[in-house]
Amino acid sequence: MKKLKTTGIHNHHPAGYLFIAPSMMGITLFYLVPALMSLVMMFTDYSFMNKGDIQFVGLDNFRRLAGDASFHNSVLKTLIFLLTVPVSLIVAFPVAYILNRSVYWTKLLRTLYFLPYIMNGVAIAFVWMLLFHPSLGPINGALRLIGIADPPGWLSESSTAIYALCIIQIWIMVGYNMIIYLSSLQEVPKELLEAATIDGARLWHSIRYITVPLVSPTTFLLLITGFISAIKTFGIIQATTAGGPGEGSNVLSLYIYKTAFRYYEMGYASAVSWMLFAIVMLIMLVNWAGQRRWVHY
Amino acid sequence: MTALGLLLLLPFFWMISTSFKTPLEVFEFPIQWIPQHPVWKHHVNVWTGTGSFALLYMNSLKISVLSTLGAVTFAALAAYGFSRIQFRGREPLFLVYLSMMMIPPQILFVPRFVLFNWMGIYNTHWALILPGAFTIFGVFLLRQFFITVPHEISEAALIDGAGHFRIFTRVILPLAKAPLATLTILDFSWHWNDYENALIFLVDKNLYTVPLGLQNFVLENSVDYNGMMAAATAAMIPMIVVFLAGQKFIIQGIASGAVKG
Repeated sequence: MKKLKTTGIHNHHPAGYLFIAPSMMGITLFYLVPALMSLVMMFTDYSFMNKGDIQFVGLDNFRRLAGDASFHNSVLKTLIFLLTVPVSLIVAFPVAYILNRSVYWTKLLRTLYFLPYIMNGVAIAFVWMLLFHPSLGPINGALRLIGIADPPGWLSESSTAIYALCIIQIWIMVGYNMIIYLSSLQEVPKELLEAATIDGARLWHSIRYITVPLVSPTTFLLLITGFISAIKTFGIIQATTAGGPGEGSNVLSLYIYKTAFRYYEMGYASAVSWMLFAIVMLIMLVNWAGQRRWVHY
Repeated sequence: MTALGLLLLLPFFWMISTSFKTPLEVFEFPIQWIPQHPVWKHHVNVWTGTGSFALLYMNSLKISVLSTLGAVTFAALAAYGFSRIQFRGREPLFLVYLSMMMIPPQILFVPRFVLFNWMGIYNTHWALILPGAFTIFGVFLLRQFFITVPHEISEAALIDGAGHFRIFTRVILPLAKAPLATLTILDFSWHWNDYENALIFLVDKNLYTVPLGLQNFVLENSVDYNGMMAAATAAMIPMIVVFLAGQKFIIQGIASGAVKG
């Protein structure tokens, strides 16, 4: 009897179902069922208006996607926005590297760098709207000071809005990435770097051939999670430009929101949202396939 | 480097200092970092004026606290089940879980809108609390930790006649204080800052949360820049309190999660 109990946790035990049941029900109701509903909806003309009369339209929504210039624009704007992920990593790594060696300030700064990440997206939007104010804002004030007579309109121009939003996103992510890099750098064995120095390795070489490869799993993880969170970004964009001016910053997440909840074309919005999913999956697969070349575990 | 770090923080200093300036001083250049005659009026207005933040705070707190409570409880239970008990179908079920994590929230909004209408919770706080009470990320995070607890501990407890629920509450949970704190803080911050769900599922102004109230504030006083900054500052206060209280856990927890994958 005792023996049976001892091995109890290794055998099939129905208590497991009880533990996962509440969460399983919630995930089913709020994730799995909606996901399946959405899969069906994308083949319909479902709209807020036609509650009683929903037609299956087959692949019509996807045919429409092919010729929808607004959709193509939003894919392009999303891809531009995704560039913020590698850029914020490239900025964060050297700063983390240097911070890792300095003793002073590190603790306090580590806390403060985290602030943009936990700050409300709408509040961030307000602060940057004023900082980017085309005629009066301090950023253009500083640019004029260094001799740029005609600084960009940032959020207020259709051609620059997406780049202004990229700057905000990089600002949000850099501190977070730095903290993660810092923790990762602290696990790099000091002996390895010292040995390299004794062997006459230059600083650049020890970074290139020791530190960078050793933190590559962290880089990979930050890249993947960064892409996922960038593609979902909604709050700061909706609150600053609402996708505008024109369609200047109309990334996919905003395009889906507008299609569904402003124009109530929910069937079409479902089709667009699965295209977003397809892009996420594509990025994941490319990253996954590429990781063998540069990620060292 | 410290300089670059401080550069990152300039927008915050600017936000706070602007909230104490007069309208004329907002765009003064070079920037006056410390206003000569600090004005308190904007902060007072945020709390007492029309669309007072007190109501928004109460709504946001209610949603964030209830969601977080549910999320941590259900996630801990599920994580225990997925990591400490062997049962038929465990691996495939966990895979279904993880695959749900990959689904962008945008896919779920339209069907949830339909579903909530049908359940009668559209335009109530439940439309945010109920889905918020389930976190796949949380299950994943806690499971990662639970796996590392040696199985001998559970076995010893089993021999002593404890059931799984007892082991869960008396042995595993007390050992998992750090990851539980991490999840609590992160989850709370997501709910506190959640704008998209509130925008879609709440219509009545007296149900509004802090992010929606902020947005409204701009729509109604689009040129009151000082007021905007005071409101933005107010929206941050709870996060700063929570963060300072748990910063040790946040940084450790996120870092270990990210570094060790």
